[in-house]
Parts: sequence; C-alpha cells; structure tokens
Amino acid sequence: MRKRATVSGFTLFLWRIWELLSLTVSSLSEEVLLVVKRVRQRKQDGTLYLMAERIAWGPEGKDRFTVSHLYADIRCQKISPDGKAKIQLQLVLHTGESTTFHFANESTALKDRDATKELLQQLLPKFKKKANKELEEKNRMLQEDPVLFQLYKDLVVSQVISAEEFWANRLSLSSVEHSISNNNKQEVGISAAFLADIRPQTDGCNGLRYNLTTDIIESIFRTYPTVKQKYSENVPHNMTEKEFWTRFFQSHYFHRDRISTGLQDIFSECAKQDEKGLKSMVTQGVKNPMVDLLSLEDKTLDEGYGTATVPTTSNSSNKSLRENSNSAIIKRFNHHSAMVLAAGLRRADAPSDQASETSSTDGNSRDSDFFQPPLKKVKLQEAIEYDDLQGDSGRKTISLNLKKSDRYSHGPTPLQSQHYTTSQDIITSISIIQHEMRSYKPRLTQVMSSSAASSAIIALSPGGVLMQGGAQQTINQLVPTDVQSELKHLYMAAGELLRHFWSCFPVSTPFLEEKVVKMKSNLEKFQVTKLRPFQEKIQRQYLSTNLTGHLEEMLQAAYNKFQAWQTRRMMRKT
Amino acid sequence: FRLNIEGLLVYFPYDYIYPEQYSYMLELKRTLDAKGHGVLEMPSGTGKTISLLSLIVAYQKAYPLEVTKLVYCSRTVPEIEKVVEELRKLMDYYAKQTGVKNDFLALALSSRKNLCIHPEVSSLRFGKEVDGKCHSLTASYIRAQHHSNPSQPVCQFFEEFDAVGRQVPIPPGIYNLDDLKDFGRRKGWCPYFLARYAILHANIVVYSYHYLLDPKIADLVSKELAKKSVVVFDEAHNIDNVCIDSMSVNITRRTLDRCQTNVETLQNTISRIKETDAAKLREEYRRLVEGLKEANVARETDIYLSNPVLPDEILQEAVPGSIRTAEHFVGFIKRFLEYLKARLRIHHVVQESAPQFLKDIYEKVCIDRKPLRFCAKRLRSLLRTLEIADIADFSAITLISHFATLVSTYSKGNLYDYDFHQKTPTIANPVLHFSCMDPSIAIKPVFGRFQSVIITSGTLSPLDIYPRILDFRPVTMASFTMTLARTCLCPLIVGRGNDQVAMTSKFETREDFAVIRNYGNLLLEMSAIVPDGIVAFFTSYIYMENIVASWYEQGILENIQRNKLIFIETQDAAETSMALEKYQEACENGRGAILLSVARGKVSEGIDFVHHFGRAVIMFGVPYVYTQSRILKARLEYLRDQFQIRENDFLTFDAMRHAAQCVGRAIRGKTDYGLMIFADKRYARADKRGKLPRWIQEHLTDGSLNLTIDETVQLSKHFLRQMAQPFRREDQLGLSLLTLEQLQSEDMLQKIAQIAQQA
Repeated sequence: MRKRATVSGFTLFLWRIWELLSLTVSSLSEEVLLVVKRVRQRKQDGTLYLMAERIAWGPEGKDRFTVSHLYADIRCQKISPDGKAKIQLQLVLHTGESTTFHFANESTALKDRDATKELLQQLLPKFKKKANKELEEKNRMLQEDPVLFQLYKDLVVSQVISAEEFWANRLSLSSVEHSISNNNKQEVGISAAFLADIRPQTDGCNGLRYNLTTDIIESIFRTYPTVKQKYSENVPHNMTEKEFWTRFFQSHYFHRDRISTGLQDIFSECAKQDEKGLKSMVTQGVKNPMVDLLSLEDKTLDEGYGTATVPTTSNSSNKSLRENSNSAIIKRFNHHSAMVLAAGLRRADAPSDQASETSSTDGNSRDSDFFQPPLKKVKLQEAIEYDDLQGDSGRKTISLNLKKSDRYSHGPTPLQSQHYTTSQDIITSISIIQHEMRSYKPRLTQVMSSSAASSAIIALSPGGVLMQGGAQQTINQLVPTDVQSELKHLYMAAGELLRHFWSCFPVSTPFLEEKVVKMKSNLEKFQVTKLRPFQEKIQRQYLSTNLTGHLEEMLQAAYNKFQAWQTRRMMRKT
Repeated sequence: FRLNIEGLLVYFPYDYIYPEQYSYMLELKRTLDAKGHGVLEMPSGTGKTISLLSLIVAYQKAYPLEVTKLVYCSRTVPEIEKVVEELRKLMDYYAKQTGVKNDFLALALSSRKNLCIHPEVSSLRFGKEVDGKCHSLTASYIRAQHHSNPSQPVCQFFEEFDAVGRQVPIPPGIYNLDDLKDFGRRKGWCPYFLARYAILHANIVVYSYHYLLDPKIADLVSKELAKKSVVVFDEAHNIDNVCIDSMSVNITRRTLDRCQTNVETLQNTISRIKETDAAKLREEYRRLVEGLKEANVARETDIYLSNPVLPDEILQEAVPGSIRTAEHFVGFIKRFLEYLKARLRIHHVVQESAPQFLKDIYEKVCIDRKPLRFCAKRLRSLLRTLEIADIADFSAITLISHFATLVSTYSKGNLYDYDFHQKTPTIANPVLHFSCMDPSIAIKPVFGRFQSVIITSGTLSPLDIYPRILDFRPVTMASFTMTLARTCLCPLIVGRGNDQVAMTSKFETREDFAVIRNYGNLLLEMSAIVPDGIVAFFTSYIYMENIVASWYEQGILENIQRNKLIFIETQDAAETSMALEKYQEACENGRGAILLSVARGKVSEGIDFVHHFGRAVIMFGVPYVYTQSRILKARLEYLRDQFQIRENDFLTFDAMRHAAQCVGRAIRGKTDYGLMIFADKRYARADKRGKLPRWIQEHLTDGSLNLTIDETVQLSKHFLRQMAQPFRREDQLGLSLLTLEQLQSEDMLQKIAQIAQQA
C-alpha cells in the first residue's frame, strides 16, 4: 500500500511539474488585466499584477515576481472592514497559506482595493471549479490506470507530446465514460444550515456584519431560485450587489418569523412565490400511498361527531400573533428543507425529474388510476416482507430487458446476403438435426483406412504439416521479458499517437490541419527517439530480426496517409 | 411449512418461524376452541398478522361449521391493504402446497372514495363529496325517475350491478381494493356495492373499525354478518376512543342555524308535495302506522342516512303517533330546535346528565322521551319520502336527530355538557357536547353477537385494563415478548441535562428555559451521532410550536440543520404528507433528516418508520391527555364510579400507551434496530415504567433510568456501533428464528411456553 502511495505521489509531483512548466511557458505572453501600484507585501513596496490566469506581485524596481499565485490555487479572498485604517486584501490558498497585500496609496487605496476585489471576485469562481475538478480528475485517472500512467511517462515526460495534447481528448473521453458508468460526478449538495453560517456579528458600533462567500450565495440561489431571479432583475442596474444583499438580510423574507412590515420589500414577492410553490407541492400530493395521511383514514367521522373539539372555522383571525409567527417558522422549516433537498437533486436528474413530474401530475389525477398501482403494489409488498423469515430465495436478479432477443442470442453477425436465421429457424433446424441423428446409421463399409486416418491426425497435431503457423508462438519464449515489456510500451505509445493522428481525419478545420501536422512530427519524433534506440538495442542483442516491423508498418501507413493528404491539399491550392 | 398446533394443521407460508409466532398461534387456538374473546399483545414486527391469518384460516378449513367467517378490522387504509396482501401470500402458499385451487373468498371493503370507478364521482377529492354524489346517482327514487325520464343521470355501474351482479356470485379469490376496482371495471359493476353485497358470503372480510363499531355504519353494513364469525381488532390500543368518538355529538350555533334552514326546506317540500302528490305522504303515514320497520322500497343505497343502534325492543315498536305525520314531525323538530337554541343562549358552563336533560326538556317544551327516541328513524323515512337527493345538505338536521335519539336512549352512563369556545373572548361560541362516557356501549353488540373477538396490538399494556373499560370477559389474555438474537432496541430514559437540571414536560416547568434548552441539546447531540432518520415526538401540537420557536430563537435548530434536514408535522394533513415524503426522501438519499411530530397525531398513529426511516425515536415529555378538559374529567369520574379505575391510573395508562405507540414506530422487525429515548425523568418512576409493554420494559436496565445527555450519547454510540455489525440469519437461527426441526424439539417447546405471559 505504502509503495503505491509513494508512486502515485510521485506521479502527481511529476505531472504537476509538467503542467506548471507548460503553464509558465504559455503565460509568458499572458495578458495583464490590472496593475496596481504601491501595494505592500511583507512591508515591502511593490506592484500587483492581475493577469489572465494568476495574480502576481513584484517588489519595486525588480522585474521578477516574488509572489505568484494561480487563481486556481486561491481558495478565497478576504478584505479588511471598511472603517479600518489599513486597507488590506488577503488571499487564502487551498494549502492554507495566506498572503496579505496592503494597499498603501493614500488617496486611491480604497478604490484600488475594491477594483482588485471586484476583478478577483469575477475571476476566482471561473478557475476554481475548473481547475480543481480537472486536477482531481487527472490525478484520479493516473492513479487508477497504470497503463495510462505509463503512457503519460512515455509521451509527456519524454516530451513527445505536450501534457495538454495528452489530456485533450482523454478528459472528454473519460467524462463521457463517466456519464455512462455513474451518471456524471455527483453534484455536491447544499448544507442545510447555510443560512446559519451567515450569522450576523455585531461590529461593535451598532451595526451587523454578514459574511457572505460565493459558496453561500450560490447556495442561496440554488435553494431559492426566486431570489436569484430578483438578483438578476435588480443587480446591477437598480442597485449594487452590496445593497441587494443588505436588503435581503433586512427583509422580512430572511427573517420569516418577523411579521412583515410591508412597504417596498422587494422580497415580498419571493415570499409569495414560495408560498405558491409550497401550495402546489402540497396539492400535488404524495406519490407514496403509504405516507399519504389524507387517505389514511378509511371513514372519517362526519362533522359534528366525535369528542375532538370542533376546529374553529376562522382560525387565522383569532390566533394570536405569536402563534401565527410560530406556525410561520414551522412552515418555513418545512419549505426550506424541501428546497434544499430539491436543489440537491434538481440538476442531477433534471430530465428524469421532468418525466416523473409529468407522470406524477397525471398519476395524481384520479381518473388515471391505472398508473398508480405499480408503486403502490411495490410499497405494499415491501411492507409485508419479512426477509428473515423467508428462505434463501436466491439473490434477486435483474431481469434482462431485451428489445430484440434475437440479436442477443446471436450476437452481431455480418449481414449475409438475405440469409438471416431467426431463433425459430435455429430451433427447428436443431430439432431436424436431432431427428436425423436419432436415425443415423454409420455405413461401415465406406470408412477411411486406418493408416490414412492416423496420418491425417498427425498432420493436424502440433508440429504437423498443417500446423506450421503455431511455430510463431514461440516468439514469446525467444525474447526476454524486459524487451517484451518495452515492446508493449512502445506499442501502446505508438497506438496513442496514432490514435491522435487518425482522429484528425477528415481534416475539416484549420485547427485539425494544424494538429495533423503536429501529430505527424510527433510520430517522427517518436520514431527517432523511441523506436530507433529500441531497434538498435535488439540488434545488439541479436534477437530475431523483425520485432518492430509491424510498428514501422503502422507508422508508414500514417506517413502515407499524411503524404496523400498533403499532396491533395497542394493540388487544391494550386 | 406445516405446523401442528395442538392437533390443528396450520400452513405457514415461510421457511422459518419466530418462536413468539408459534406461541401466539397456540393462545389464539385456545381462544377459538373456547369460543371466547381474547386480548393478545405482541410487539409489532413479529409477524402478528400472518400468524393470525394462518391460524384462523386453518381453523376455518378444519372446522368449517364452527367458524364461518373471519372479520378482520384494521385502522387505516394501507393497513387494510397490507392485511389482504399477506392473506394473498398465505393463500398462494396453500394452493402450492395442497395443489387444490383456492376456494376462499376474501375481500377488503372501504369507503366509496377508495372504491368508486365512476369517472366523474371518483374524481372528487373528499369522501363526503363522493358519498353525496354517489347517492344522488343511485338512490332508488332517482332511478325510478330515470325510468320515466331518461335524461336523469344515473350511475351505469350501479345499474349494471343491480341488474345482474347479485345473481352471479363473485368467483373465489383474494380481492384487494384495486382488485375489486379491476373486477368492477371488467364487469362494468360498481365495486363498492359489489363488495358490500359480497361480504355477506365471503369467508374473510377486511375492513376498518368503523364498519363494526360506529353504530350508524354498522347498522347498514355489518348487520347481517354471521354469528359464527371471528372478529379481530388489530392495532386495537385505541379502540376505546374509536367507540367513544362514534357515539358523541357536538352541536354549535352554526349547526343549529343550518338545521333551521333544513327544517324550512323540509316544510316547503312537504307543502308542495301535499298539493301535488298528497298520496305519497299518506302512503308514508300508512307505513308508519303499520309499524313497518323499513319501507319495502328501501334499497341499500337509501340507507345513506343512518340510525344509531337502538335496542331491539324499540325497533319492534311503531313510530309513536305524535310524530307520524310529516307536518307533525317537522313541528316536533322545530320545537326541539328552539329548545336547543334557548339552551345555547346561556353564558355559563352547564353540565348535566341525560336524565336531567330529558326532565328539563319535558318541563320546558313538553317533549316526551319516546318520540325523541324515534327521531332519527323518522327523519330518515321522511327524507326518503320527500325524495331529496342531495343528502349532504341535510347533515345538520341528521345530526340533531341522532342527538335526540342518543340522548333519549342511553340515559345511563352518558353525560353531556356545554362548553364555551372562547378563543375570542367577546363572542361566546357555545358548544353542546354530548359525549359518550362509556366505550362499552358501542362495542357491546360486537361482543354479544360474535363468537370470538380478538383484540390485539403491539401495545396493550397493562392488559387487564381493556376488559375493564370495554366491559367484557376474555378467556385469554397474554402478552408476548420479542425473542431477540441481539438487543435491537435500546430504550433509554433521559432525566436531566448536562447541567443536572431535570428534564420534564411537567406543566409547571415546561416553559422553563433550561428545560427547553436541554431538550434542544439532546436533539442536537443525537442528530450528530444517529445515522439517517430521527423522529421526535412532542406531547402536544402547541407545545411543539412553542419549543420550535424558542429553539429557533436560540439558534439550536440551525445547529441541528448542520447535521440533518428538519421536517415538522403541521396541523394540515396534506402539508404533513408532503413533509413526510420529503423526510423519507432525505433518509433515502443519505442526507438524513429529523421529523418533529406530535404524539396522538396522525403520524404517530399511522406511519411506520422502518429501518433507516427511524433509527432513533425521541419522546419529549410524557404525552398526557389535556387534563383540564371538562369532558375528560367527566369521563374520569365515570370510570371511577363505574369501573373502579382510579383517575391517575387511567391517565398514566393513556399516556404510556401513546408513548409506547410512538417509540414502537421505529422497530418493525428483528432485523430492524432503533434507539428509544424517553426524555422525561418521570418515565423512570415505577408506575410509569410498569405500564410500558413488556417487550420494551425487558430492555430497560437500571443503568438507563436517569441519564444525562452525555451519558445518553455514550450509550447510544455504543449501541449504534454494535448494531452496525453485520447481522446474518445464522445469528438468529435457534434463538429468535426457528426451522421446523428446531421448533419440534422438546427444549424449544418449553422455552416457547415461557414467551407468553398470562395477565
């Protein structure tokens, strides 16, 4: 276990380096989005640069950066409170380290800081998910798949192709695979207590401070789509973001237990919509008949019977204010939990949800009773089952759901002219054969002579005249294992490269054109740096000649294709 | 496999059996042999239903002349359907083993709402609407009108059934509600009336309590059931309340107002008919004079308006002369109504017994007792004669007439009183409660008529109290424990918080800040260690509302939300259903959730929390009934005077059966497991503890009687860790799960004999 861990750790390290290298190279010419002068870091004056993919700081008068963070590495930013004398911005990294910048330009410090903050706020979320997910994904793939790891070493570490190229269609490929195998990556749910995390803190001077992070904002949006809608309606044309959130926290909507003060609360509409949503959820009813309290009782007592006190008809008017607010809290909790739950599921099975919704709406209308029983039956069966009383009924099997059982039992067969045997045909023919076999009588007078038979058997045994092809099998005894494994790696690497190469055809876009040229040069590079040394090595060991023949053939085929394509292109140009 | 229970061959549709099931069947067999009644307590989840069914079906097959019918009463619709499914399983097993095709007819009966297949009628949402609409399509005079005027709509399903359905018996088989509907659709017959007709010759009938206990319904549906039936009341721990509810009436001013309009309508109709069709009224009069109990023309559809049970001697008598003509009767009702109105005008609480009431009414408005008795019956006859289709409208006057009959018939043992609903102090809203004090009145005909009545439930402790309050002599009373290979239930009594403040929902301290906070902390701590679902019960809805509000203010709920989602029962059933479903969804997808609920509420009575839906149940406080109510006080007094049951005993009994019911929701089988946390120090007292069912009491050790929150958390953690270990069949075999060979060993039989504890 430990060995494996170190290996994978090493891998991680290796390709991080490569990735970083490639990044540095590519960022040589990166775009600078914002330059802020007179920013102090560790009591040193300097300049802060916000670039396309990273943030960097260099001390005054030097042309290299002493601080440089990729946006992807930054977990969050924090700013000093408004009233403070020092105007600062802190970056917290995923590793837990943090870097603090002090904006020292007296006149514009606040403006500088805010500009930086705003820009970072826009940039960080973009990188955050992508980078994290990608890194994780790549790491996982390399750890899980030793073959891929080997390939990575062969191709990327030896600089045959760049890391980006290597991953280019790997990742998309894998994500497709994933979506098939386990329905995409599971979306991270929302903490039920996200509103609790924004507990206000008093800042000492008669005000409240709320800490909002992008996570929380996203949680709010995901749980309460109505708030999101309001946000997109009002920000930024009607009010600033800050104003929006301030109003949000002041609103009756947030403090649901307080009775609405009315006026111009932009969230009152949200509350109404929530109410509506809750109502529709309620009227839609429940799908599981076992929890439907409405249909639980078989025969309710008629009005006026029973000992229970009569429910007062006008319950809202004579309830005290406190009772009202209490039941509002309860309603709110139910709604909140339902929304959180729904937000967690919403994206994961959006299409299937749609389907179930439509079926549920008509499943609830009682004239389509035909739809209801299956679920009900299942639930009932579940309810009366005692699994320990039952004998071993064998493991529950999933029944095969075949659309065309013929195809399953025959497998994909090449379409032969018009002769297509159905299973019925096969069964009849089998029965015919059986029938014939039953009435089969050997005609002993017309058999082969024993000598002829034995010579035929010899010819068909290993080493016989007709079994010459088997001699080739011995190749894996002739070649030492290390050469074998090297050959295997070569095959894999070549296969990967060729896959890249062939995937460019048909060359329809300029991008593909560029790529096919590059891939061809990659192939040549591979031949020179990998294949040649290997060939020489074999020759030195006097091994049987043509181990790499097939590889070369494959490469040659690719070259030919390339040649043909190029000439055709030249022709077209001229 | 096949069992031999004291000489009776019983087919049991499983490969293994719990020892207590065997023991249960033994006791049941003895009860049936003695042709007497029985009270049997066995924990839920030990296969009570299948044991009952296996034995009684076997008995029926062996002695078809001794027991002709099984009437199985359960409480909720899902329960009913579950019973039928288990029965189906049993019958399939019979068919497989004996090779003989099943010749039993078993069916479920439910209200029209669950059985109607008429496209228009069945789309209505409420049971009452469905009933009313159905009646307006199937009443006999409507159908008569249809003859002369084909545009009058009728229900073709009923017509079809009426035409041919009765001649052809329904083929033997097991019919659940959906099967009945399918059958009805195939044949074009009304499933509801088909079922009602078929129960008369069915071998097994499964329906709800009301069809037997509510005299108004029982009179219609179950009157003709054979005497040699075995009646089973499952989940019977609340049977006394069902009885009382069905015999109690509340009358408000609104009822009286609506009754007034009813009377006016009646008057108008009568005078109109008198002009056009006086013969009809004369005919009715003639019928009543003849003392015909029911009019010949009465079809079963017309008995929609129903009559509380009357002693037989009254039924034989003719309706007294003073109310025989329609006008006289309406006048009589008007006088009665005026009297009631006058009574409701007073502004203080009055409490009097039925004889006092009758005396008063005689003195004030000269209404005699005898005509009052016939009020309900007379009204029914009148409504039928007047051919008023929409009966739902006449619910008010029907109610009044029932009240009149009840108050004059059961003078002994009943009390009624006035109560003021003073939610708004300025407007008095007096209510006339006529409440039946004695549950035995409603159930008496059942005990009297049927050969064996079995009362069974998971929580019937203490056993001896049921025969006393229901006034019957059982031949067997037994309580069975749950044999367990591992202690899968863990009852804990939490008596104090970590700050040593006593935890209790006692009235004096329930608003105490420290108590509420401790309750909150308990829930918070448990939410952190218990996987999946937690269900918490409060003593009353108002109490829950208050606690939730103050938890919210203190931020406790927010902290709980960090661990689990919170769902709360509300007073609205539809809303609660949704919350419940979401709760289950949250348990299902691994997020975990907490359901805050109320003891005595719908959730505590009808919903099971199997496996991960309820890994812990917390009972906050002792769920005493609200003791300040005058009706309850009157009932307690009555119990003391009539049955020598002390008030406190009854209150504690009532509270403990509800508490047991609540915590028992979590354990639904031997492979299930759950914590049962009683959060009130009063549970530790012997008088409370002693009233818990034996199968819970057994696992309450002295070490778990007065715990702090921390100790509770420690014990719970330990328990949960143990339960998380794999649990295989081999662990159970021989201990709590037996094969046939094991069952037959001498050793085991001796052990089994100890399972049943005779009360």
